[in-house]
Amino acid sequence: MIALRGLCVRTGTGHLAVRDVDLTIQAGQRLGVVGESGSGKTMLALSMMGMVPDGLQVEGQVLVDGHSIAAEDERAWRSHRARSVAMIFQEPMAALNPLVRVGDTIAEPLRRHLGLSRRDARARALNLLEETGIPQARRRLDQYPHELSGGQRQRVLIALALACDPQLLIADEPTTALDAQVALRITDLLVRLSQERRMGLLFISHDLAAVSRTTSDIMVMYGGDVVERGRTASVLSAPEHPYTRGLLAARPSLMTRSRRLPTIPGTVPQLNALAAGCRFAGRCARELPICASRRPPLSPTETGQAACHLLGAQA
Amino acid sequence: MSDPVLSVQAVTRRYGLPRRNLFAAAPVLTAVDNVSFDLAAGQTLGVVGESGSGKSTLARMVMGFERPDSGRILFQGQDIHRLATGDLQQARRRFQMVFQDPFGSLDPRRRVGWSIAEPLRAMGETDTDAQVAEALEQVGLRAGHARSFPHEFSGGQRQRIAIARAIITRPALLVADEAVSALDVSVQAQILNLLMDIQDDLGLAILFISHDLAVVSCVCDTLLVMQGGQVLESGEVSGILQDPGHDYTRTLLSAARLGVS
Repeated sequence: MIALRGLCVRTGTGHLAVRDVDLTIQAGQRLGVVGESGSGKTMLALSMMGMVPDGLQVEGQVLVDGHSIAAEDERAWRSHRARSVAMIFQEPMAALNPLVRVGDTIAEPLRRHLGLSRRDARARALNLLEETGIPQARRRLDQYPHELSGGQRQRVLIALALACDPQLLIADEPTTALDAQVALRITDLLVRLSQERRMGLLFISHDLAAVSRTTSDIMVMYGGDVVERGRTASVLSAPEHPYTRGLLAARPSLMTRSRRLPTIPGTVPQLNALAAGCRFAGRCARELPICASRRPPLSPTETGQAACHLLGAQA
Repeated sequence: MSDPVLSVQAVTRRYGLPRRNLFAAAPVLTAVDNVSFDLAAGQTLGVVGESGSGKSTLARMVMGFERPDSGRILFQGQDIHRLATGDLQQARRRFQMVFQDPFGSLDPRRRVGWSIAEPLRAMGETDTDAQVAEALEQVGLRAGHARSFPHEFSGGQRQRIAIARAIITRPALLVADEAVSALDVSVQAQILNLLMDIQDDLGLAILFISHDLAVVSCVCDTLLVMQGGQVLESGEVSGILQDPGHDYTRTLLSAARLGVS
């Protein structure tokens, strides 16, 4: 359904914020993208929406049902955004117009893209709100965003995203601004919607626990590269790439205080300071001489794929 | 057991809400409801809860920014809300705070050395360079960084600067309000380790406020779980993790757990 082929995002200074990503999301597939700030995960999502900021250049292909959308074909992108893909963000308040009632916000794409009448659009908006499990859905139609809680606003945005039956829902840190209890309910909702509607879900988060609850497959990014991918449960329980391992080890787990946390030395470098080879070179504890200059390809592992020269070295 | 550095005794804080009806009493929100705990030197107490649980109000009262409506807050045996303003100023050097967003608490137009020395100047000290240099080295930065501006640093480095400013007066108590929540995982681990190292060096008591039970469980000895201003449960971290006494604590646990193996 929706696929990326050799996708790169190039900055104005010629550096690659996303480097050569191949990706296919099938109907009903739930894919998690994890990585720290600067890993390129949000750029990847925006490139699938045709919404990469001005000044950045997208190379490679975005395929929808096998057809490539040209970067400059704004009409095709608009129709793609209307019908096949939708996105929700971290801060729901910022994505809602404070002066527009919730029901009118959801009805807008229904009237514009599906040509429904005012009455039909309102009825459909109510159905969508009910589908997201928001309490007292009928009352919400006539409320303004500020009258809702953070979790309710996120449900409104999900209803809005579902309006035109997307094949793929991209959720960029949708639970980061929410309290734990609310976050659990939102991830449950996303899983249920993906299953019931056979809708693809691209779930972007730095929260490994949220990703493990929500997704079946996972992709780990670092400095614009996919460094490891596979089934979520296998990758998180037996990571192969040194970065994935470091990330999991550095993550505070539910243990009682007894020792220091293992850390990854240094910080995520700026784009212009990234190595030409493996982007993790310079911070990796098991670096080989070849790493900084030659980029390791994604190679099969026991749990999926990883891009690391160590995999070849062991064989 | 030695005397606690901080003793919070039956503290309550209420806020009046806007009146909804001319003829009814204005509604009152009890932000912190009868909370008590002790914190000893070298120990870390975690406070977890979601937004609106009262954890930040509690922190503000401990720092003396806000008065409780009832109850007492004793810092090294003194009730900080009964001190004269001048005495509170002097006592302040012994308890300091680190916030979630270091960028918001550092003056963008001042060199960081100036910001780090701020608590010393408030005490009337003028010769601060050597102490700034020492504090910077203590948090893993270089003395020369004092001449740089906040925007020249990464998020993790800025949080180190905020910690340097907090420890420059050799406090006995550090209040950390969501101090690592805005950081990436790999940086968060470095800052948590730094806090634990500094605690070992200085024998600090730390009041560690967070919404993330996993982070709290790593750094804290004891734990307070708050909801709606009340303490749901409290005790040793290991005990609460193994046998949570409340549904809400169980929810926090499942939110923090990696859903594999």
